[in-house]
Amino acid sequence: MNKQLIYILISLLLLTACGGSDKSKEKSLSSDFEIPDSILYDGELQISEKAMKDIVQNISSPVEIAALIKAVGVPYTKNHLATTDYVDHYNTAFKKALGLGIFGADLGYQNMYNKTGSVLEYISAIKSLADGIRVGQFFDFSTLKRLVSNNQNLDSLMTISVQNFNQMDRYLRENNRSNLSSLIVAGVWIESMHLLGATIKESKNSALSEKIGEQKIILSNLMLLLRNYERDPKFKDLINDLTEVQEIYKEVRITYEKGEPEAVEENGMLVFKQNDKQFIDISDETLITIIDKTNKIRNKIIQL
Amino acid sequence: MRKLSILFVLFAIFLVGNNNDIFAQSGQELVDICNMVAGEDVTYLKDFQIKLDAAKPGEEPPMSRHSILLSKNTEYLFTICNSKDFQGEAIFKLYDNNRLVTTNYIIATGKYYPKVSFKCSTTGVYHMFVEFREGKQGLAVALLSFVRKL
Repeated sequence: MNKQLIYILISLLLLTACGGSDKSKEKSLSSDFEIPDSILYDGELQISEKAMKDIVQNISSPVEIAALIKAVGVPYTKNHLATTDYVDHYNTAFKKALGLGIFGADLGYQNMYNKTGSVLEYISAIKSLADGIRVGQFFDFSTLKRLVSNNQNLDSLMTISVQNFNQMDRYLRENNRSNLSSLIVAGVWIESMHLLGATIKESKNSALSEKIGEQKIILSNLMLLLRNYERDPKFKDLINDLTEVQEIYKEVRITYEKGEPEAVEENGMLVFKQNDKQFIDISDETLITIIDKTNKIRNKIIQL
Repeated sequence: MRKLSILFVLFAIFLVGNNNDIFAQSGQELVDICNMVAGEDVTYLKDFQIKLDAAKPGEEPPMSRHSILLSKNTEYLFTICNSKDFQGEAIFKLYDNNRLVTTNYIIATGKYYPKVSFKCSTTGVYHMFVEFREGKQGLAVALLSFVRKL
């Protein structure tokens, strides 16, 4: 009887020892990777790392702008994408993080159009850059590669890649590396602006022009993130460039008209309609100046 | 023998008490489930994993706050999934500055909705607050998905 009890106790002990939570798994996964000091930001911060976690979380999304470009009926153009040929030139943590954002936005654009022809190049480039800043463990390269190779379940390709970017972002924020997370966000924003601008130059569209104007709000949130690291000379350069864009944005006027929100139940689902109006006033000249300026910043990053 | 049995029971309670996660649903599993609940017609944008303790007697229920940027002329879907391991049912409220613009729980009718669509007409920062009904302990995922451009 005593023996039986001992066996049960040992079994329980083994069971509890094996059943680790995801958090502990994640911890052990991340502790497998030594993080060089150059990647950690040790400068003085205007906003604490703790407060940084509370800052707006989805400043730029590779999905929404690509969806808008597709929704207005503009065809896919491969030439708009940043080349992955020089991925080895992204040789510092700063460049790798920016590059991750840029290729992330390009991947979103390709996924939105279900163009898998060159997706493999982009997920390989992203994996390489993510490994370079020790977040490659969050990028599920093998699953994405399998989906692309079999040309199957393309919706999952978008979901998994966006989820992986969110996981990288969360991990960086939670591990005092928000400087890199901010750069990824900046990269996504800069490339999304490029995709919008390049599309507008080919086929002018009021919804797309308005989207450029709207970015005044997004850019001010992005600058809040980046300015936190302005003591770093590399950040300072990027901030100076984007400050010039912000100066041009002063010409864009955004006004509001308040409305009453309505809620209706449709097929068992609650639907809220916000009835506020937002007017964006942007001249053609300002539009082109913003597009050209952001393009210059983008080209400086990708040409290296 | 009796002493040994008591020791066994105490030991088992200790082990189980310290390992809530042995068979527990993880946040990531909940995200995957929530993605299926959201449906195939929408595109995943962001997930918020919320774990809150039960409210202490006489205190307000704990709350989780997140700021998100939403774009005008866009329909979003918020899907709320509660972990089966906890009693708490998550109530989310989305505010534009000080005004409530979306929620999944209508106090007047007492109806609780796992999915809520939000047709956004103003680009800007919105604040999402999540708490568990009646201040119970809970684990939930609030999933933000893109539905379409309006």
